[in-house]
Amino acid sequence: MAPGGLVLAAEEFTVREEPYYLPLGDEIELFEAAFEQRIPVLLKGPTGCGKTRFVEYMSWRLGRPMTHISQGGEAPLDDEGPRPFVTVACHEDLTASDLVGRYLLDTDGTRWIDGPLTRAVKTGAICYLDEVVEARKDTTVLIHPLTDYRRLLPIEKLGQVVEAADGFLLVISYNPGYQSALKDLKHSTRQRFISVEFTYPTREQEAEIISHESGVDLAVSIELAKLGEKVRNLKEHGLSEGVSTRLLIYAGRLIERGIEPRRAAQVGVTWALTDDLEVQRSIEEVVTSIFE
Amino acid sequence: MTVAGGLIARNRSRFDGFPEPLLESYESSLRALEPRLTPTQLEAWSQGGLDLMAISLRSWESAAEYFKAGPQLVESTPWDTYEQLAREASDLTEQSAPLAVSFLRSAPATLTHIGPNHLAQWADFGRRLYKGNWKSSSLAAQFYDAGPDLFGTIRVSHAGRLVLFLDELARHSYELAAACLTSAPEVLGRLEGGDRMPFLTFGVELAQTSWADSRLYFDRGVPLIQRVHGPVRERYLTLAAQVARDHSRSVFQYFEDAAHALGEVEPDDHGPVIELAEQLAPHSAYAAMDFISNAPEVLEKVHIDELAAWQNHGLGILASSKEGGEAYFRLQSSRGEEVLDTLSARVELAKVGDVLRLYAKALTGRNISIHAAAVLAEKGIGWVDEERASTDGTTIYLPEVMELYRAKEENFAAVKVFTTHQAARLEFGSFTFSFDRPSTLFEDLRPTINEAPDANPTTEIERFFDLFPDRTLASDIHKIAEGTRIDAAITRNYAGIRRALTRMQREELARRPEVSELPLRQAFVENLVRVSLDGTDALRWPAAQQDAMSNGISVLQRLSEESASVEDTAEATLRLYQLAMSIKNEREEGEEEWDSLPDMDQESLQLDMSDLGGEGAAMEMGEPQEGDVEYESPQDIDFRGDFKPELVQLLMKLRDDAELGDAGQISPDQLTEEQLKELLEKSAEIDLDTLLEGDLQNTTGMFLSNLLKEAGTPTLDSDAQSDQPLSDLSTGGEEGEEPLAPIVTTYYYDEWDFRAQDYKPRWCAVKEADLEEGEDDFYEDTLKEYAALVAQTRKQFELMKPELFRKIKKLSDGEDIELDPAIEWMIDVRTGVSPSDKVYWRRNKVDRDVAIAFLLDMSASTDEEIARRDQQYDDSDDDPRKYLSWWVTKRRQELAAPPKRIIDLEKEATVLLITALETIGDDYGIYGFSGYGRDNVEFYVLKDFDEQFGETTKKRIDKVTPIRSTRMGPAIRHAIHKLSETEAKVRILVLLSDGRPQDHGYGRDRTEKEYAIHDTKQALNEAKREGITPFALTVDRAGHDYLKTMCEDMGYEVVGDIESLPRRLPALYRSLTE
Repeated sequence: MAPGGLVLAAEEFTVREEPYYLPLGDEIELFEAAFEQRIPVLLKGPTGCGKTRFVEYMSWRLGRPMTHISQGGEAPLDDEGPRPFVTVACHEDLTASDLVGRYLLDTDGTRWIDGPLTRAVKTGAICYLDEVVEARKDTTVLIHPLTDYRRLLPIEKLGQVVEAADGFLLVISYNPGYQSALKDLKHSTRQRFISVEFTYPTREQEAEIISHESGVDLAVSIELAKLGEKVRNLKEHGLSEGVSTRLLIYAGRLIERGIEPRRAAQVGVTWALTDDLEVQRSIEEVVTSIFE
Repeated sequence: MTVAGGLIARNRSRFDGFPEPLLESYESSLRALEPRLTPTQLEAWSQGGLDLMAISLRSWESAAEYFKAGPQLVESTPWDTYEQLAREASDLTEQSAPLAVSFLRSAPATLTHIGPNHLAQWADFGRRLYKGNWKSSSLAAQFYDAGPDLFGTIRVSHAGRLVLFLDELARHSYELAAACLTSAPEVLGRLEGGDRMPFLTFGVELAQTSWADSRLYFDRGVPLIQRVHGPVRERYLTLAAQVARDHSRSVFQYFEDAAHALGEVEPDDHGPVIELAEQLAPHSAYAAMDFISNAPEVLEKVHIDELAAWQNHGLGILASSKEGGEAYFRLQSSRGEEVLDTLSARVELAKVGDVLRLYAKALTGRNISIHAAAVLAEKGIGWVDEERASTDGTTIYLPEVMELYRAKEENFAAVKVFTTHQAARLEFGSFTFSFDRPSTLFEDLRPTINEAPDANPTTEIERFFDLFPDRTLASDIHKIAEGTRIDAAITRNYAGIRRALTRMQREELARRPEVSELPLRQAFVENLVRVSLDGTDALRWPAAQQDAMSNGISVLQRLSEESASVEDTAEATLRLYQLAMSIKNEREEGEEEWDSLPDMDQESLQLDMSDLGGEGAAMEMGEPQEGDVEYESPQDIDFRGDFKPELVQLLMKLRDDAELGDAGQISPDQLTEEQLKELLEKSAEIDLDTLLEGDLQNTTGMFLSNLLKEAGTPTLDSDAQSDQPLSDLSTGGEEGEEPLAPIVTTYYYDEWDFRAQDYKPRWCAVKEADLEEGEDDFYEDTLKEYAALVAQTRKQFELMKPELFRKIKKLSDGEDIELDPAIEWMIDVRTGVSPSDKVYWRRNKVDRDVAIAFLLDMSASTDEEIARRDQQYDDSDDDPRKYLSWWVTKRRQELAAPPKRIIDLEKEATVLLITALETIGDDYGIYGFSGYGRDNVEFYVLKDFDEQFGETTKKRIDKVTPIRSTRMGPAIRHAIHKLSETEAKVRILVLLSDGRPQDHGYGRDRTEKEYAIHDTKQALNEAKREGITPFALTVDRAGHDYLKTMCEDMGYEVVGDIESLPRRLPALYRSLTE
């Protein structure tokens, strides 16, 4: 983890240490290929299954000095250092100007300030728009010229068009089960991305992740992974979303700090997931079945 | 001359003018008494009779009886008694001769029972009943007549109480008193001695308070009393008497109910129950009796030891609020139920079913339902036990109630173990057996066994069981083996449940039958059961045959390994079957020592598989031999429940077929009926005889159709194989043409009892149904009639429609800088004032998010015509001709346009409201309600929330008619339920009525208003708590008084001029939502 207290401009942030990431399939190769071809990527999958971690990991990985030469024989374009990485968490009030930039009032008039997207475009960063459907519809319009052959960002208020720097790649994430039907991704947007689907890891993989991230031994983490698997069976039947690997890791960390496993699962999983008493009770029963 | 002769001669003249027999009896009496009495005494005796004769005109009759009675007295009777008799006789005769006659007639016999000392008392009893009139005289006479009978059974002190009772009763009805007196000796005779006094005491109280019940009490009381445990009967009666003293209503009813209830309680528990009731009695006698009456129901849920805790809680309520406490003990309060629930140790499936469903779903990842085992048994598809857990592959069936233990947690843990075992069968693939899939732990024997060449098994597991000559044994062993595997998998995977499971295994072991009494093969199987329950230490087996047993155990224990699959279970079954067959099923005679198995070292457990059947060589399956005792299956293991893999696989296959069939494909191996029949007949899992009675052919047929129905396949016509044309299928079409009965869904709601300050749980049944459809004329006509108003309403509501985006200004963050604030900002900065940074604007989406439920009163009172003022005849004018002409005009008007009723205006208002709502696009539901009584609150759907407005709605409005009563509370609660299912932010409930809430049983009696009003008020409060805005609208001019109570701070309106309702309603809606 990076030492705290460091203040950076949005476009200066890079992933320096290798984040832990356990590949579940061929997603790394896919992403690398997409990056080389500058094809925008859509990551699909439930909350907390590792989408953000994956992009972070890819940002780090792609920022390493490239060890291989691409087939065309060209030298890698950007082996000069870590790759900037811009993350924007989208929310329902996120407007286009939040992404592109806006005027601020200054003593002498107004001053333009670039938004995170503009900065990413200018510096050639990987720009990750998390939960993109949450944002207002007008933001998706910005995405369109950026994600086809043009790779342009129009800044309406300045009357400018910014051409994306070479390293720029737009990555968005999308959780199909979570949002309401009203907030579905438009097809015109959707079909500009290749779509990498994330699912929950298998029990063994998840146990490995939990164990690595939380420090509990494998025996406990396999139980946690089992709990995760069982609780995910309840999705759509009382739960709108299965338990995330993240929550299981949290529970693991609590256990690592000496909290009773049942109690850790209760606060880390049961109560974190739902307020519905009946469902809570059911999950509680699963917890008490699995943990002694 | 004898003394008697002298007396006769002296007094003969006094008998002149009296009937001859009088003298005769005088003479014979004197002669008979002469030897017993001294001359003086005899003379006194004679004088007593003569005095009687002189008392009145008819007193000679009593004298006659006097003379008869004398000699009948027993010889040892002391002279005092003769004198006393004479005194009483004379006294009674002075009051009423017939009375004295009865007294004297039964005196000798009665005296033998009561003895001379009580004579005066007895006489007094009769006098007490005599009031000087004819009826009382006859009652008193009857009392004397009954003397011998009565005192044959009861003691004098009892008689005193009886007389008190009769006397009390006689004040109301002599006939009743007489009837009771007639039956008294017999009734009291049936009671035990100690019970008589309290029985009569209660009778006296009853006679004082509700005398009409006395006859019932006398007729039916004794068997009732006898339901009460002997030693506490007296206390019970005392208690009942106390109730009678305090209250006058339905005393006998209480007595009867409580006695019945006690009959259902264990006799030993009567004492505690009555003691607790006695504690309640000083506060409220009703509560005490209700407590007893409901004791059986309460005791079903809590143990007798916890009854006091329940009573104590209620006592607390009773002390602070009498009504509250009474409702509590009447079991009509939510608090009472809650307390009961907390105290109750038993776990009801109905209450935990949902939790378990999700639990099983989590474990298996499948959509499991949870039902009571009885449901499965009812289906008639092979399962017969109503108590045992099982699964049919899609549903887990559990016992309805679990009360094995004294603590709720333990009972729940037991249910959980049951559920987990059934779920684990699904999770660990008990039903996915495939004959050809190799096992993981054993050398596969299945392929080496010769299968019958003509076999055509339906399911994989059937094919497997076909290998065994003794199917029952194979099935039993398979069940044990699979149980072992599943339990091991549960223990391995679910550490948390291990403790409860081990406990149940231990308890099951303790229940097992004595193994050494079984024939050997059964003992072998029984031992396997014990091993499977992890009870290796509980084995008993002849030492000489130890090898077979140890082999068996080691095979079975391999199934506990992690990789064991259902195919391994099958392989183990094959081996165990062979071992079992190698053991004769006979009883071991003496000599052999049954012993626990010596510690088996791992070496000996390493079984050489080649011992069993040999490698490669075709395996021979053993068959039952001669001389064997017939094999019986081992006792079932409770927590594992029923296990019927053949049936489950069959059902799964049928279901798959049904699905394929639906998809329009034809399954290549569609089951034939023969196959099914064959399977059912040979399967060891089904006992067709116990399943259904009747001849086999019918039974199988029925069974098959049940199975197919369960699997969702169309029933196979049993004649389909013959060459009958299939034209019968056309009957399917007719079914669709028959008018469908309206679907009625029942919901239960609590009702607020303001006296008890508590809810009566599940008190009202709301029956929801779609209103039938009429014509759409009414709707169209209304639109025409109010054309102008409709247009106006539409316009108004269109104005209310929000713009989609609204520009919001003066924000600290937004899309862009807004000019005006920006200029101000600049000015501020330049002048040195600190500027406001709210200089941005942003467009916000505005949704109109309103849902409204509209409740229409369809009570009978809405049938009332609206009296138009102009039609009121001014009767100050007496001219009949004027009246006639007025009446004719009115009549003509009425024929042309029939007068409107309240309901018509309600309907019109609804139509207009719909127009408005459709314009604005709000979500709305329109419902009508009426009904009669708490169990039948009718709730009609004109338009549901998720329903589109259309022809159906228009036609339903036509059918809105006055029906019956107005029980508003439940209707409101149901509307709340409907509203809370919508996701709108603003939710409104409008109640349109024509008067106060009123219904049968909606209050103490028909005239009581408070109860209904308070319940309605509470329902409206509930709406508010749910975040719903309630609004009550009434067309009852007197509405102000109760609406003020009902709605308090909530909105309400009284529409004074009813005809303005159609105009008023849309306007009102606007003001509510704007």
